[in-house]
Amino acid sequence: MSSDPKETAEPASIETAATAAAQPARLAATNVVETPFQRFLSEYCESKIAIVAFFVFAVILFVAVFAPLISPQNPYDLGQIDIMDGRLAPGSTTFDGATTYWLGTDDQGRDMVSAIFYGLRISLAVGALSGIIALVLGAIVGLTAAYFGGRIEAAIMRLVDLQLSFPAILVALMLLAILGKGVDKIIIALVIVQWAYYARTVRASALVEREREYIAAAKALGLSSWRILLRHLLPNVLPPLIVVGTVQVASAIALEATLSFLGIGLPITEPSLGLLIANGFDYMLTGKYWISFFPGVALLLTIVSINLIGDQLRDVLNPRLRR
Amino acid sequence: MKRIVTLAAAAALFAGASASAQTVKVGLFSEPSAMDPHYHNLGPNNAFSSNVYESLILQDESQKLTPGLAVSWKPVNDTTWEFKLRKGVKFHDGSDFNADDVIFTFERAPNVANSPSTFGTYLKGKSFKKIDDYTVHAITEKPYPLMPVDLSQVWIISSDVGADVTTAQFNSGKAAIGTGQYKFIEWKPGDTILIERNDGYWGDKAAFERVEVKPIKSNPSRVAALLAGDVDFIDNVPTADIERLKTESDIVLASGISNRVIYLHMDRFRDDSPYITGTNGKNPLFDLRVRKAISKAINREAIVARVMEGVAIPAGQLLPPGFFGTSENLKAEPYDPEGAKKLLAEAGYPDGFGLTIHGPNDRYINDAKIAQAIGQMLTRIGIKMKVETMPKSVFFSSASRGGPNKTPKYSFILVGWGSGTGEASSPLKSLVHSKDAANGFGASNRGRYSNPEADKLIEEALATVDDAKREALLAKATEIAINDLAIIPLHYQVNTWATRKEAGLKYLPRTDERTQFRSLVKQ
Repeated sequence: MSSDPKETAEPASIETAATAAAQPARLAATNVVETPFQRFLSEYCESKIAIVAFFVFAVILFVAVFAPLISPQNPYDLGQIDIMDGRLAPGSTTFDGATTYWLGTDDQGRDMVSAIFYGLRISLAVGALSGIIALVLGAIVGLTAAYFGGRIEAAIMRLVDLQLSFPAILVALMLLAILGKGVDKIIIALVIVQWAYYARTVRASALVEREREYIAAAKALGLSSWRILLRHLLPNVLPPLIVVGTVQVASAIALEATLSFLGIGLPITEPSLGLLIANGFDYMLTGKYWISFFPGVALLLTIVSINLIGDQLRDVLNPRLRR
Repeated sequence: MKRIVTLAAAAALFAGASASAQTVKVGLFSEPSAMDPHYHNLGPNNAFSSNVYESLILQDESQKLTPGLAVSWKPVNDTTWEFKLRKGVKFHDGSDFNADDVIFTFERAPNVANSPSTFGTYLKGKSFKKIDDYTVHAITEKPYPLMPVDLSQVWIISSDVGADVTTAQFNSGKAAIGTGQYKFIEWKPGDTILIERNDGYWGDKAAFERVEVKPIKSNPSRVAALLAGDVDFIDNVPTADIERLKTESDIVLASGISNRVIYLHMDRFRDDSPYITGTNGKNPLFDLRVRKAISKAINREAIVARVMEGVAIPAGQLLPPGFFGTSENLKAEPYDPEGAKKLLAEAGYPDGFGLTIHGPNDRYINDAKIAQAIGQMLTRIGIKMKVETMPKSVFFSSASRGGPNKTPKYSFILVGWGSGTGEASSPLKSLVHSKDAANGFGASNRGRYSNPEADKLIEEALATVDDAKREALLAKATEIAINDLAIIPLHYQVNTWATRKEAGLKYLPRTDERTQFRSLVKQ
C-alpha cells in the first residue's frame, strides 16, 4: 500500500514547491500538514474498506453501549419474555399487535433484535476487558523478560511457549470447568489464554529496542530500571502491541462465542451471541433460520470489522512501511 | 431401447441384492459405555444389551412381563420364588444354557470392578439356589412381590467365560456371548457397533441379517443423516424436527408415551436453603401453600405445546394413568396464576422471594428449555427466578451430594424419573419414601421429603404379594405424596423414533424408552 509511487511522490512535490518559496513559509506548511494524528488519520483513510469497517464498528459499539436504551425489550428479564411468543418469524407481531419482532423470536420468545443488542454488549465487553487486562499483563511480563534477559527471560519465555503449545479453546474449556459460569469467569479464562501472545510480541520488539542508543543513553544517565522500562522502552513497542491487541480482541470475541455455543460460558437466561446461535442450531433443519442466522451475522460483522481495522492499523503503524 | 431394458434389469437386480443383504444402519443418540452387560446399569447400555443378551423374563413394548430364558415363575412360599428355565437354548458359541449360567450371572453382575452404577439394585438382599439344571429358587427374608420385575433387568451371560472375566474382554468381543437375537461382532467406540443375526435363536429369528449402529450425538446431524439416507433408523428424534419430518413422505415417525415423569423436587430439609433469598433464613418450600402456588403458576399445557411442540403429556402424578399402581383421582394441576399469587400472599410472601432452579441440559428432552420456561412462569407470580443448567455429568452428582456433608446441593431442581419396573413402586420407593440408604429407600429423594404415613404405605405395598391389594396401596401412597406435593409433576415424556420408508421399517415405541432392535420390524 505504502509502496504506491504516487503517494511517495507527493511529499517530494510539496518540497519542490516549497524550495521555490521562502524558507519560513515551508516550515509553516510542514507544521500544518504533519501533526502525527492527522498523518495517522490520512494514512488510515487511504483504504476505503478500513473506513467502512470503522463505521460498521462504530455502529456496533453504539448499539452495544446503549442497548438498554434502544432495545424494544430486556431479553434478560424473564418477566418480559413469554414462551407463547416463541419461534415467531421475522416481522411477526404479538397477538395484540403492540410489538413487532423485526428479526423474529427465539425458542423462549425473546425478541431477536434485543437479544442481539444485548449479546453484542456482552461480546464487546468480554473481548475488550479481557484484551486490555491480557495486554497490560503481557506487556509487563514481555518487557521484564526483554530488559533483564538471562534466567528471568528464559523462565518467562518457556512459560510462554508452554502456554502457546496448548490450543486456546482447550485451555479455556479446562479453566471454565474449574471456575464455573459467569462473565467474570470467562474474562479470567480469556486473560489466561491470551497474555502469552502479548508477552511474546512485546519481548520481540523490546529486544530490538533494547540495543538502541537511547536506551544506552538512559542507562548512562543512571535512570532506574522501571523508569527506562516504562518511559523509554514501552512507548516504542506500543505500535506492534496495538496491532496484536486488535487481532486478539477479535479472537477473544470469537472464543467467547465458541465457549457459549458449547454451553459452558454464560447462563442461559443471559444469552450472548454464541449461545443465541447454539439455541438456533436445534432449529436449523426446520427452516427457522433466524434464531441462528442474525446473531451469526452480527458476530461476523463485529469480528471482520475489528480485523479490518487491525489490518489497517498494522500498515499505518509499521515503521518499516513508513514513507 | 434394449439398452434401457438391460439397465433397468441390472438396477432391479442390484436393488434386489441390496435388499437381501438386509443391513440396517442405525443412528443412535447415546452410545453404550461398555459392551459388558453388567458394567453400567444405564439406559443406553441396557437398551443395547437387550439385543445380544436376554434376561429370565423379558418386557414387551409396554413393559408387560413375558417369558424369556425362564418359561414360568411363581412364588412357592412367602419368601421363595421358583423359576423354571427354558430347555434347548444355546449361547452364541454353541454351548447349552442351564441353571449354572443363571447362578454364575447373579454372582458376577453386582460385583463388576469399577462399575459406575451396579446391578446390585436388583440383586442385593436375594440369594439364589440351583434346584436342578432347569430350576432356580430366589430367596428373600421378607415377602418380595417385585422379584420377577427385578430379575427382568439382569442380562444372563455364559458361565464358560469364567469368574475372572473382565469388562475389556466383553468390549473386545471375546466374552460377549449371549443368547439373544443378535450376535456381537465388533465395537469401535465412537464409530460403529456391529451385530449379526443369531440363526440358532430359540424364538422368532431377528428380522435383519446385520445391524450397523452409528452413535450420532448431535440432534441436527442425526436427523440430517436420516434425511440423506446415511442411516435407516434414528432414535431420540428432536421435538423441533418432528413437524418438518412429518412432511417428508419417505420418513415414518413412531411416538410413544414413556414411563418417565419430568418433575420438580424441592428442598424439604434445610431451614436456610442455599438457593432461596429474601426470606430471612426461612424456607418457604416447607409451606404447602407455597408449593401449591408454584404448581398452579406452571402452565403445563403451554410447556407441552410450545417447548415440547405437542410431544408430551401434562402430568398429575408419578406415572401416566393406566400403569400399575397409579391413582384415578389425580389430574394435572390447571394453570391458575391468580390463585397462585393469592396463595403466596396468604403464606406471607406477597412480594415473592428469590429462587434458583437447577437442571441438566443434556439428559431429558428439551430439559434446559423447560427450566427456562418454569423460570418465566414463576417470575410472573412474583418469585425472582434464576435459571442454571449444566451437563448431566456435573448436575446429578451435585444434585445428589454436592452440598456440605454430602447433602443435596440445590434448593429447587428439574429432574425426571423413569419407572424401570413399569409400575408405581419404583418412583414411590426412590423419590417419595424418606431417605434410608441401608434399606434402599429414598435413593433419589433429593428434596429429603419425609412423610411417615406415605412411608408406611409404601413399605406395606412392597411386602404385599396380592396384586389387587398392592395396587390399591400404591395408588393411596401416590395420592398422599402428590396432594402434599412431595414433588411437582410437569409432564410425561413422549419419545419419538424415525425410520426410512424405503427401508421398509417400522419401530414399535417402547414405554421403557429403549431403542431395541427386537421392536424394529419390517412393514
